[in-house]
Amino acid sequence: MQQRTALQSFRYRWRKSLPFWLILPTIVVILIVQVYPAIYTGWLSLQEREPGGWLYVGTKNFDRLFAAGIFPESIGHTVVFLLGYTIFTLTLGFLIALLLKQNVRLSGLYITLLFIPWIIADVIAGLVFRLLVTPDYGLFSGILQNPALIPPNGLSVLTATRPAPWFGNFPFPPSPAMIYLILAASWRALPFVTLLILAALQTVPAEVIESARIDGATGFQLTRHITVPLILPAMVVALFNLIIGGMNGVGMVFSLTGGGPGTSTYVISYLLYVIGWGQLRFGRAAALALLIAFVNWILIFSILRMTRVNESRR
Amino acid sequence: MKSKFRSFLIVLVLVVFTAALVACSSPAAPTDAPVVDEPVAEEPVAEEPVAEEPVAEEPVVEEPMEVMDFVTWYQYDENNEDPASDERVGNAYLKKTIPEFNADFAGKWNWVNVPKAWDKMTQELVAAVIAGGDVPDLIELGGQQTITYINNGALMDLSDWAKAQSWYEDLDPGAIITCTGPDGGLYCIPTAERPALTYVWAEHYPDGYPTTPEQFMVEAERLKSEGTYAWTYFGSTAYDGSGTGRMVWSLISSFGGTYDDGQGNMLLNTPENVAAIEFLRETIAKEYQPETVFAGGFVEEDSFKDSSAAAIPTGLFGYRYINPLTAPDGTKYEKGNENDMLDAIADGKVVMRPMFAPEGQTPGCNLDIQGFGIPTGAKNVEAAYDYINWIMSDLDRHVEFVIGPGAGFPSLKSAQSHPDMQTPFYQQAAIAVNASVCTNWAGSLERPAEAAPAIMNAVYKLVKEDPSLDIATELQSVQDEYNANN
Repeated sequence: MQQRTALQSFRYRWRKSLPFWLILPTIVVILIVQVYPAIYTGWLSLQEREPGGWLYVGTKNFDRLFAAGIFPESIGHTVVFLLGYTIFTLTLGFLIALLLKQNVRLSGLYITLLFIPWIIADVIAGLVFRLLVTPDYGLFSGILQNPALIPPNGLSVLTATRPAPWFGNFPFPPSPAMIYLILAASWRALPFVTLLILAALQTVPAEVIESARIDGATGFQLTRHITVPLILPAMVVALFNLIIGGMNGVGMVFSLTGGGPGTSTYVISYLLYVIGWGQLRFGRAAALALLIAFVNWILIFSILRMTRVNESRR
Repeated sequence: MKSKFRSFLIVLVLVVFTAALVACSSPAAPTDAPVVDEPVAEEPVAEEPVAEEPVAEEPVVEEPMEVMDFVTWYQYDENNEDPASDERVGNAYLKKTIPEFNADFAGKWNWVNVPKAWDKMTQELVAAVIAGGDVPDLIELGGQQTITYINNGALMDLSDWAKAQSWYEDLDPGAIITCTGPDGGLYCIPTAERPALTYVWAEHYPDGYPTTPEQFMVEAERLKSEGTYAWTYFGSTAYDGSGTGRMVWSLISSFGGTYDDGQGNMLLNTPENVAAIEFLRETIAKEYQPETVFAGGFVEEDSFKDSSAAAIPTGLFGYRYINPLTAPDGTKYEKGNENDMLDAIADGKVVMRPMFAPEGQTPGCNLDIQGFGIPTGAKNVEAAYDYINWIMSDLDRHVEFVIGPGAGFPSLKSAQSHPDMQTPFYQQAAIAVNASVCTNWAGSLERPAEAAPAIMNAVYKLVKEDPSLDIATELQSVQDEYNANN
């Protein structure tokens, strides 16, 4: 009788704990690949590499980072890049998705073709875009560098200097290389955003649109007051992806502009790469990585909060 | 009961996590830069355990010595037989010498080469040393990388071992300095010296390549009127500011300028530096160079290849990369390898000259070295010693190495008179280099990897991006920012 009770007790505990055992491998993996590197990065940000090993330097890495002239400059470039990249990609993605929703002929083919940029690696896409505008030799250089078309001296995208800033040291208007970088990055991100929005558009009930039309809503009003609010969750997902990808992506900058000309495309992720892998200042790079992560969190939570407010208002 | 069980589970998770970390962490590798006092005497002999009990009348058969791998990192790949490869010379050298080395050390070492990208090797090695990962037994390196390795404790101090070798006294003192760390230790063995000079299309400069900036401006204007660029060079900020040590340093040092004060501090704001940058700014404003000089990716070389640019200041080893060639008179050198430039030099179409310098100044140039380093944590240090001796103790082999991957002048003084170094190419190069004072651009700077992008970005800003900026103010600002971290 007692044996039976013990067995029942074991079975009961086993059943209760089964979910934990099932989830345990995932927890261990997350601890190893996420928690541990995060803690290590925090530790690293307080160290400096010396010939004899690591040396605790407290917040010196952060101090040096803030004191470097390139740091605020790269923040400016990142803001410009993110604004251009997200606005351009979302707008264009939305417009293309609207077109594709019209059930035009061969829309399946268009969607397939649209996927091409998405399957090309960042670095490769950057290299291809670079080859297109390499001074004197690029496919488009003959056109762009033609003074008759772009007076007075033509435009060499990769070497043209940036215009004088309008707001103090803030790098706006951006250099031609930055605009080109935004275009290239958007080109690559466009398929994902378009398909996401297209999928969301197809969930908008036709009856709602029809009712609004009967009530006399114009095309713009339909889009503004019906379509956009209904696909907002998908837009938020797209925005998250664009912000995180744009903030952290370095492959395109690396292969397309290398931060140049000068420092005109030194976005913060590229600065991180340069400090970490160019200068081998791992402590300082870790400090910058923490700051970037912090800014990512702030951006994401802000967007989440704003969209929640919007949803509750609806 | 429930809470106890939960506590148990939490403890269990932590134990599993800790165990996983321990399992994943590297074996206890020394993080401190070890000082190698003496060659490690351990032979890789698989020792048999001594048997306690006497084994009756069995003859003791000695185990053959296990052949150990000797792992190197080169930027060359012995398996790449592409005749159009930029690294053809080094690739071919490794393909030839790996079997020779393995034959000479048969039964002892087996040379295994791992090709690495030239601009990523430093990062990979430092990361491997810090992480306690697998490191090679020997790497090839340039002088400017040495200090970065030293700062990260990635190289062994070879002083005591090197000084005991027969070839040490024969080493060029200038090359030794480039391998010497701030603590006085010798962290690499220099094999070749790589000075910078200017390759010139002779026909474009019928009166000879200018020797002063004033002459250069006159000639440049003439060439411009003929539709030819006076020169092309690496003027981009790409490759972590590597342009700092290229043409910009040749020009600045020719003007009597410097990047450091000899005490480890950056010194940019000097009248000589300002004058050099003013000169460069003027040449750029007058478009004496193609726009490609600022594009990175070495596309600027193309203008010299087709002779639309009349000169290219670059490293001595540039001849390997600048091909095929078309001379101003249309003569084509189309082998597509290093022989194109060598042939053009032999034909007198291309000449090598020092950088021009203001009256009273001696032309300057960058002096880099090619050398060997032994990484901290190398498993087979003995093989690395054998390899270095194999190259350095035999003059023919040393010269073969210098002409191959070394790509410069021999670091051994006695090898400089070797018959293979008496070709038109080396003779002309020697004249150009001897007319210059060549020093490493980094001087006493202990953080060249930080200094290079800072200097190049500043120069680019001053000469291209915003030529209206005050040069002295900008240079002072970069100098102050660097020195604040000293």
